[in-house]
Amino acid sequence: MDKLVVAAASVVSEADARAARLGTRFGRLDLSSRLALLAVEALGVDFDALPRDRVGICLATRAGSLPTDIDYWNGRDAPGGPSPTLFAYTLPSAAIGEIAIRHRLTGPSLCLVGENTGALAEAVLLIRRGEVEACLCVECNLVTPALARMIQLPPAARACALFLQRSGDGLRALRENDRDVESLCVLLCPPKSAT
Amino acid sequence: MVDSTQASRPAVSIAGCGAITAVGCGLDALRSALRANASGLRPCDRFNSPRFQSNIVGSAPGNGDGADLDDPAWRLAADALRQAREQARDIVAAIPAERIGLVLSSTKANIEALERHAANRPCSDAARRHLRADLLAADLAATHGAKGPVQCVSVACVSGLVAVQQGAKLIERGAADAVLVVGVDHLSAFVVAGFSALKAMDPTGCRPFDRDRRGLSPGEAGAAIVLARADRVPPPAITLRGWGGSNDANHMTGPTRDGSGLAQAIRAALEMAELPPAQIDYVNAHGTGTPYNDAMESAALRAVFGQRCPPTSGSKGMLGHTLGAAGVVETILCAVAMQERWLPGTPRLNVAADGAPASLVLQPRSVARLDHVLKLNTGFGGVNGALILRHG
Repeated sequence: MDKLVVAAASVVSEADARAARLGTRFGRLDLSSRLALLAVEALGVDFDALPRDRVGICLATRAGSLPTDIDYWNGRDAPGGPSPTLFAYTLPSAAIGEIAIRHRLTGPSLCLVGENTGALAEAVLLIRRGEVEACLCVECNLVTPALARMIQLPPAARACALFLQRSGDGLRALRENDRDVESLCVLLCPPKSAT
Repeated sequence: MVDSTQASRPAVSIAGCGAITAVGCGLDALRSALRANASGLRPCDRFNSPRFQSNIVGSAPGNGDGADLDDPAWRLAADALRQAREQARDIVAAIPAERIGLVLSSTKANIEALERHAANRPCSDAARRHLRADLLAADLAATHGAKGPVQCVSVACVSGLVAVQQGAKLIERGAADAVLVVGVDHLSAFVVAGFSALKAMDPTGCRPFDRDRRGLSPGEAGAAIVLARADRVPPPAITLRGWGGSNDANHMTGPTRDGSGLAQAIRAALEMAELPPAQIDYVNAHGTGTPYNDAMESAALRAVFGQRCPPTSGSKGMLGHTLGAAGVVETILCAVAMQERWLPGTPRLNVAADGAPASLVLQPRSVARLDHVLKLNTGFGGVNGALILRHG
């Protein structure tokens, strides 16, 4: 079976997301989408070199949209009700839309919620099945302190991204024992160097 | 382009289904509503407030007015799953628990727990736990004998279709011999307030593809499908033939005007199924009843089928928009229709909109052939999904 190539990897933190400027819309996004979008930006992939309908997006999100859900619902008693803009981000898959819009990627997408989602294996499968030529694999781990108090997860705020391709130059070939996005990103791209 | 190993993959069939929806509990309720073109949309006192655009919703039995459940997501999902497992009892019983997987599809899981937390209302530990969709999936798997792989899918309103695909992929790649696919979302002030803020609800109840449509009506459902290797399901079974996904890459909450994204997903599904468009006997549309969605879907169908669009209808006038459950419950509706050779109508549609498919089915009717059905869903974030089912 053909080797897949890890073409690029990134890790970004909350501080990176708060400092970044990626156009006028960026500041209006929820933190989860900003982290995911910035992680993809940090990959430095030239999407112009690829057929955009053949690039998939595979997103793993540890706590879904719960951090944004809390923010949205805290605004329920505001005049006019909760924010319609924020409502669009109360979906675990919201970052997929933002990534697709920014990079005009029209391929299939998948969002898995939880820990150890197997998102990397799903991205590999999308390529191996021939559904896409390449796949962005993004893991967003955002658990705000308010959410951490409500559910049993430690606070966290970072995102990692990988770009997998069938062939071409890259950091290294994907190996059989590469199991999860975050470990592989940290291995290939220590957090400090991503900024 | 689908890879050359497709022919060697095992086919995947539907072994059992279960549903609890606005039209009642169980497949008989769904079948009766399908034949009668009935609507389960009703005014609900819970949403009698100026802050909501409409109180007309699709509430499931036991979850509407007067109910005070702290874990409605669990109740809906577990009820549907129990029905589906019962229908597939003999098939499931022959498969070791380690070879049975579960894929959950939900957009909001048990969001009731967040509302209760914010209002300092009582909430059990289990209900709070099920605020996390992955834990809801884990608990469903643990209590329904699925010790194989567990996944939790959430891709906006395409979640259900993607979950069905994921279930099929688990079987195709040999990770499981059967997969319990469960779709669930419950009615909540959280969601109704959000759609109200977006001005996306029809104050009089949704009317998919209608000339005067003004928006959607939220609904709730628990829906479950037992998928199994086709060689374990007695014929004539309903088999998953192909699927496709795409992204509009256009807008977070609005679809493309030309339907190109959805058309791309339909073409991918047709290619995987190795079917020409003319072989599709019926299309079950996403059909939210919002002006833009229905126009976009009509454009996508024109792009793929030209002037020869198959009979098409939408089911959200019957069930409401059940979000993460929609793809699962509407696939079940298609399966029931195929078994009965009964073409579903479009409840609450009066006069078709300009530009809607000429083949729009207003009233259900018996048909001689319903072999290939195309199921469509679209969602926020520009996501599109298409699934092709085959009967026999």
